[in-house]
Amino acid sequence: MKRRIIVMALVFLFAGFPFFMQPQEGACADPIVIGVPTSLYTPFGSYGLKAVNLAVEEINAKGGVAVGNVKRPLKVVVADTRDGEPGTPVHDALMAYEKMITEQKPAAIVIGAFRSEVLIAAMDLVAKYKVPHLGTIAQTPVFQAQFKKDPAKYKYLFRVTTDALVDATYIAHTLDMVKKDLGLDKILYIYQDTLWAKAFAGLMQKHCKETGWTEVGYEAYADGASDFSPALTKAKEGKAQVIGMVWDVPLGAGVFAKQYVAMKVPSLLVGFIPPMGSPIAPKVVGPEVEYGMTVEFPVGATLALAKLPKTGEFLDKFKKKYGELPEPPAVNSSAYDSVFVLASAIERAGSLDPDKITEALEKTDYPGVSGKIKFNQDHIMVFGEKSAEETGVCVVFQWQKDKDGNLKRVPIYPEFLAEGKIQLPPWMKK
Amino acid sequence: MSLLIYGLINSVILALYTAGFSLCYGISGIANFSHGALYILSGFTAWNFLNAAGLPFYLAAVLSVIITAILGFLFYWVLLLRVRGTPLAELIVTFAAGMGMLELLTWKGFYGMRYSLPLSMKGGIEIGPVAIDFQRLFVVGTGVALVFLLWFFVHHTRLGLAFRAMAQNERTALSVGIESDWVGSLSMALGAALAAIAAMVILPLGMMESSIGLEVLIYALAVAIVGGLESTLGMIVGSFIIGFGQIAAARYIGAKWMIIVPLAAIVLVLVIKPSGIFGKFKELEERV
Repeated sequence: MKRRIIVMALVFLFAGFPFFMQPQEGACADPIVIGVPTSLYTPFGSYGLKAVNLAVEEINAKGGVAVGNVKRPLKVVVADTRDGEPGTPVHDALMAYEKMITEQKPAAIVIGAFRSEVLIAAMDLVAKYKVPHLGTIAQTPVFQAQFKKDPAKYKYLFRVTTDALVDATYIAHTLDMVKKDLGLDKILYIYQDTLWAKAFAGLMQKHCKETGWTEVGYEAYADGASDFSPALTKAKEGKAQVIGMVWDVPLGAGVFAKQYVAMKVPSLLVGFIPPMGSPIAPKVVGPEVEYGMTVEFPVGATLALAKLPKTGEFLDKFKKKYGELPEPPAVNSSAYDSVFVLASAIERAGSLDPDKITEALEKTDYPGVSGKIKFNQDHIMVFGEKSAEETGVCVVFQWQKDKDGNLKRVPIYPEFLAEGKIQLPPWMKK
Repeated sequence: MSLLIYGLINSVILALYTAGFSLCYGISGIANFSHGALYILSGFTAWNFLNAAGLPFYLAAVLSVIITAILGFLFYWVLLLRVRGTPLAELIVTFAAGMGMLELLTWKGFYGMRYSLPLSMKGGIEIGPVAIDFQRLFVVGTGVALVFLLWFFVHHTRLGLAFRAMAQNERTALSVGIESDWVGSLSMALGAALAAIAAMVILPLGMMESSIGLEVLIYALAVAIVGGLESTLGMIVGSFIIGFGQIAAARYIGAKWMIIVPLAAIVLVLVIKPSGIFGKFKELEERV
């Protein structure tokens, strides 16, 4: 009898061994809390959050994230920093950040600050509380400069998207094509007087000076601006052939787009103008969006690319879940990717210890929707213009009419993603 | 030339922002700080009639103006009646109601790139080298027509005369049978309707977002303070000072300074002549 009991116990033990060795499904395990402190009531924040929730749902459907030998589900908590709304003081946004970190105790933060000024101010806060932070909206290159001052202190901060210089480089190279293929060389810049847009416009200006463009004007507007007639008049009077525009607040960009159309400014629009790059632009702004060129950073934010099937897969899933495509032509795919990057880092770290997660994040090598995700020594995602299998990539598209007369966004740069050539509007032909 | 034309357009837009606020204050002494919220609320109401109910724009606009006017009227009876006569309390109540409306709109998802009203008319004309679209001309036309209609209303209609009586001396008006609360509530309704009319012609120029409510309130306050809170002439002059000031600042100093102009104007006027250029309410205090 004793022997039978011992044999049965051994059978149970060995039968159950694989079960104990495998990570346990996360139904009963404590969730891993991911914080999303961002400007929730802006298109970038709200669609970013939707992308995060989509990724979390996918991961949880597969049992969650393995922490050691326990599979734990992800749980998203949010805080509205309101920093995407004009007039919100940086201090208010920081308070929302700190409240979330101290009360909800997230294991990591994704998306993060909307406004670059808030991101820079939040860096010390994140360092103080040691929370791995995967930012996907704020675009200022000041982040790297600040990081370099004290890498040990700021090691918890990563950027899983482009910065303004990457976006501007794509536009600068598109301008090279515009100059070479269309023969245009007079430009006026309009930009929003914020950190990231200044950096974007500054790089465009520097590049154009070096490549022989004639500058008609360099106009900064406050981000609450609602009348662009002075700059548009200047563009008309100065016979600017191209307007290089950088703006992220939908309201101002929308006013600009409609005013540009209304004032019949005979200049080609190139830059980052969300309402003109959004999938619903022809409906909201009008058919006059035709010929406008926008950089989408990174790929997969709103546009499915024939040469990068992952972009289409992500957007199909997004549309299936939410019934619509994301609106802003930026950073939605970054928000989605950031959750997988974090989940992978936690699994490799085998722990929720922030230092171990940070070490694992530094070794990230993840094939995301936005291209290959790797970080450089400044914790910035590496971007290039050659291959999505080596780096993250962006795309520049132009609104063009197809054979049936429907407006479509045609990728024109970089070459390996291009599905068409830049078209010159008939009203600009000599 | 463009400075003149776009200065004029900008001035008329500011006058339209301010008309309802100034009129309401001039008649009943109520500084309606929910003015901007009513403005943008009317825009979203029209958008809903247009897109959810499928109504034509003109019908959606008329319904939106009527609904906003009713809301202004109800504000008086529901929110203001108990604090009537205490200016600070009136200001706080209307401001809180306005902020509540704006937050509600944001919370309900009225932000982003999809909210836009259609142009009443497409196309435009060129005056010399300056192109102007018909919608902006429509804005100017509406502004001129409204000023004329308001003048006619307050000088040649019974209700308008009652408004003027109340504005000049509330006690005397009461003694001849003009009911103060009715005039107060009607002035709120009229102010709200004017805000909605302004919204119907100005909002098609751009996109809609709840934050516009605060912007409109700030501009209305700036114009009213510069011109004189209760003065219609002051409102027009204030609009022109700030409107042309903004376009000139953009042209000669830099576009980013446009937003400073109304704030600088407020500070300057409060330092030099706190009652505003054509204001009467505090003039005597200033003399003393």
